[in-house]
Amino acid sequence: MRILLPPVLGCSFRAICFAMAAVFLHPVNAVAQTQPVAASRTADTFSSGVANEWFSLAIQLVQQTPGFSPPVASRALGYLGLTLYESIVPGMPGYTSLAGQLNELSSLPWAQPDEPLHWPTVANASMATMTRMMFSNASAENKARIDLLERNLPLKYGQDFDPTSVTPDITNRSETFGKLMAMAIMTWARTDGGHEAWGPIRRSRENYVPPSGTGRWSATPPAFAPPLLPWWGENRPFVLKSGKECPAPPPPAYSEETNSAFYKDAQEVYRVSNQATQEQRQFALYWADDPGKTPTPAGHWAYIANDLLKMGKASLAVAAETQARLNMAMADAFVAGWATKYAVSLLRPVTYVQVVIDSNWVPTLMATPPFPEYPSGHSVQSSAAATVLGKVFGAETSFTDNTHNDRGWGPRTFKSFKAAADEAAISRMYAGIHFGFGIEGGKVQGQCVGAKILALKFKP
Amino acid sequence: MRIRVRNLSHVVLASITALQGAVAADVPAPAIPRFVEETDSAGLQSRFEGEVEFMVGGGVATFDCDSDGLPEVYVTAGVNKAKFYRNGSTRGGPLKLKEERSGLELTNAIGAYPLDVDGDGQTDLVVLRVGEIEVFRGLGACKFERAGEKWGLSSSNAWHTAFSATWERGQNWPTLAVGTYVDRSKPDFPWGSCTPGSLMRPASSGKQFAPAVALTPGYCALSMLFTDWNHKGEPALRVSNDREFYKGGQEQLWKLSPGQAPALYTEAQGWKPLQIWGMGIASHDVDGDGLPEVFLTSMADNKLQKVEGDGGRPTFSDMAYKRGVTAHRPYVGGDIHPSTAWHAQFADVNHDGLADLFIVKGNVSTMPDFATLDPNNLLLQQTDGRFVEAGQQAGVASFRRGRGGMLADLNGDGLLDMLVVNRWDKAQVWRNVGTGTAEKPLPMGHWLQLRLKQPGGNRDAIGAWVEVNLGDRVIRQELTIGGGHASGHLGWMHFGLGQANTVKFRVQWPFEDWGPWQTVQADGFYLMDKEAGVSAWRAP
Repeated sequence: MRILLPPVLGCSFRAICFAMAAVFLHPVNAVAQTQPVAASRTADTFSSGVANEWFSLAIQLVQQTPGFSPPVASRALGYLGLTLYESIVPGMPGYTSLAGQLNELSSLPWAQPDEPLHWPTVANASMATMTRMMFSNASAENKARIDLLERNLPLKYGQDFDPTSVTPDITNRSETFGKLMAMAIMTWARTDGGHEAWGPIRRSRENYVPPSGTGRWSATPPAFAPPLLPWWGENRPFVLKSGKECPAPPPPAYSEETNSAFYKDAQEVYRVSNQATQEQRQFALYWADDPGKTPTPAGHWAYIANDLLKMGKASLAVAAETQARLNMAMADAFVAGWATKYAVSLLRPVTYVQVVIDSNWVPTLMATPPFPEYPSGHSVQSSAAATVLGKVFGAETSFTDNTHNDRGWGPRTFKSFKAAADEAAISRMYAGIHFGFGIEGGKVQGQCVGAKILALKFKP
Repeated sequence: MRIRVRNLSHVVLASITALQGAVAADVPAPAIPRFVEETDSAGLQSRFEGEVEFMVGGGVATFDCDSDGLPEVYVTAGVNKAKFYRNGSTRGGPLKLKEERSGLELTNAIGAYPLDVDGDGQTDLVVLRVGEIEVFRGLGACKFERAGEKWGLSSSNAWHTAFSATWERGQNWPTLAVGTYVDRSKPDFPWGSCTPGSLMRPASSGKQFAPAVALTPGYCALSMLFTDWNHKGEPALRVSNDREFYKGGQEQLWKLSPGQAPALYTEAQGWKPLQIWGMGIASHDVDGDGLPEVFLTSMADNKLQKVEGDGGRPTFSDMAYKRGVTAHRPYVGGDIHPSTAWHAQFADVNHDGLADLFIVKGNVSTMPDFATLDPNNLLLQQTDGRFVEAGQQAGVASFRRGRGGMLADLNGDGLLDMLVVNRWDKAQVWRNVGTGTAEKPLPMGHWLQLRLKQPGGNRDAIGAWVEVNLGDRVIRQELTIGGGHASGHLGWMHFGLGQANTVKFRVQWPFEDWGPWQTVQADGFYLMDKEAGVSAWRAP
């Protein structure tokens, strides 16, 4: 419900007018029976500027903060998307909290009906708080960037933070509500299994011993690194009941027979990657989204969405819903993909080819990532992202991707989100690190994850 | 004073907080009692100290162990020694508390609840600790001895944070519930490491406890209360849990049928999951429908839950905003951060016949995003059912780091006095002087205090309900042990009567129908013996 100030009251002070509006327009016994909505300008009347800025910084932090491998990055972005949405949903009439729909999250704090809040301030505070907590091991310079952004946003977006309409009282209340929401979500986040699975707060857990046997994954050249985040598939997803809810179809039976499907798929990788055109090699590099060098795959899609929201002059409300859906989808996609990867524990093409086809072959474009092959994580995550964005912006929407402009690889225009996701998926074969069935199986899994996220009820 | 929303300029000048309580027109403002702090003059000298394992708790217990009608005080102090204070107050006069050796001296005590476990007429005491629970048997004359082993109570070295007790149907020995917090062996990553509580029921001998049954799952309980939530004669165990540390947890209501294992009420049965930073429970029939409402303290997210419908299903809905008890940020002192609420208690501090709400507040430690200057609340109920803040005017807006607390009549003048335990700070006590001053207290409204007695093990009739007919309406209380935050009381039941000089009351003894109405004069203490009937109690 949008609250319009009754002009007859002739209020000089906006805060008091807001308070009076709350009193007069919210009969106590009427609002108490329903989910209350704070009496202020609704979130759809503000620009997406706050959301854009925080996601831009988060994408940068993903790249520059140690430990932010693709799964870890997707988790951080997922919680940031949810935090943004939950912090302003009381200001989105007709929308509801996702508490009660997400795993092990029954309820969250709700704004007081009689206290008007300023939603850009709420979002600024909640995102600043959650960003600090999610990137607790960021460099000192980046921590300063977080502080700076929080302070500067009100100056940069004067239209949204008009000081004549946002009093210190409202600002204070909005900041405290934003922080409270971030803290409530963080208390939940800490128990998902992912919080302590990496980096400086890694908990001791039994060592992962990869299953052995024919066709099983083993460490790959050149680094022969230990498997990355072997327990990630056991993390609590946002929406999926578990990492197993969206299974990928089973891969073909392992075989070294030259007429077997498996052999043929391996031959395909060997051939395609060896014969990759310059354009295909560029695609492979474009979508590699390696940690430490880029925003990782999830950050890449978050960048695309952020760009579209910014260019489309979306409202804060639309940005929040979009980023929540997209980033939770990608986080769940990584959990689902990782669950399948370590359950199937399939060897990588480089291992198979060296054992069966060509002893001296290694993918020339990039090193094979240190975890099992099936399914392709890029395929799962990109398909989930494209499923969500296709629904939000339109399945046939053409868009320009500027993620890698500063690396000299863009801009690139795609005819649809699915086309981009398909290119991201097949790029892994060009790179010589995934079988064709791993790519196709990943797409199926990702589309399933995306559909689950789209089934969330944002409006009751 | 009457607050009317007639003059807009008057409203404009009011604070938003005040506006919240001034919505309804033509509602008389409640009379505000005056409290005078007498911590030093009373002789209360206790500090609740300790680091991480003492961030919760900080309870106080009040009970009469020398039969003079005045409650003694037992104050927990964390790593410091918990102290027993004999109440030497003059009736109607200043508070006097004298520390005595009683056998209750302990370290690492964080909460305490009095009850008569063995039904011998002497108050016993359960002390919650960081470490083993201690259970003390009252010997009379305020002396106590350890009785855990004798009564078959075994306790782990866990972090014990919540307690409640009841007598189940047909039992002469109580059933105890104990809640625990996080696993003490996992300090580096406590999230998801809540340990289960336990339920101790009577052994077949009826003179000891049977081996404890785990209340699994445990979600870091910070308060427990056996309450007959639907007033159908079977208390259930309400548990308030701290979302900060649990994984997949929520608030809980355990069904406890005689002879059957405890079972959680489920969503299929009507339970609606709720996650809060649960810290304390207060229960009272606020709206007069015969069913108790439950106030749950949290971090800026306090709830006042009402049973929906006639209590056929355990479905609760929140009415904190409607009633004006959100108490989510400081109302005075200038700190704009969210509040952290701990102990909560309904009681009528101004004797207008309407239960008021006392909430103890305080930052967990030095959490920068929560209020540092976080005054305790004294929310007075108006005749329209809404509550208005009066902590500052009443003189109890303490800015110390509050935890446990208690409203109890410490000087026998009918008015409820106030105790608060503060972390890293001294405990405090205030005397309620009504509308008067410390030198000249003046009563406000009439009052009644009752003590129930019945034969058998449950001598204090825990689980009984008492109704008092004020003429124009009936108020009621359920007699319970538990809840609050680590703080318990056993003794007089207190009723404010408003202007009624003579009232009728009746008792619904545990598992029985309502007894006959009894007529008594206001402003007195009465013993209600199930067999002998009502009699006026006189101070010795």
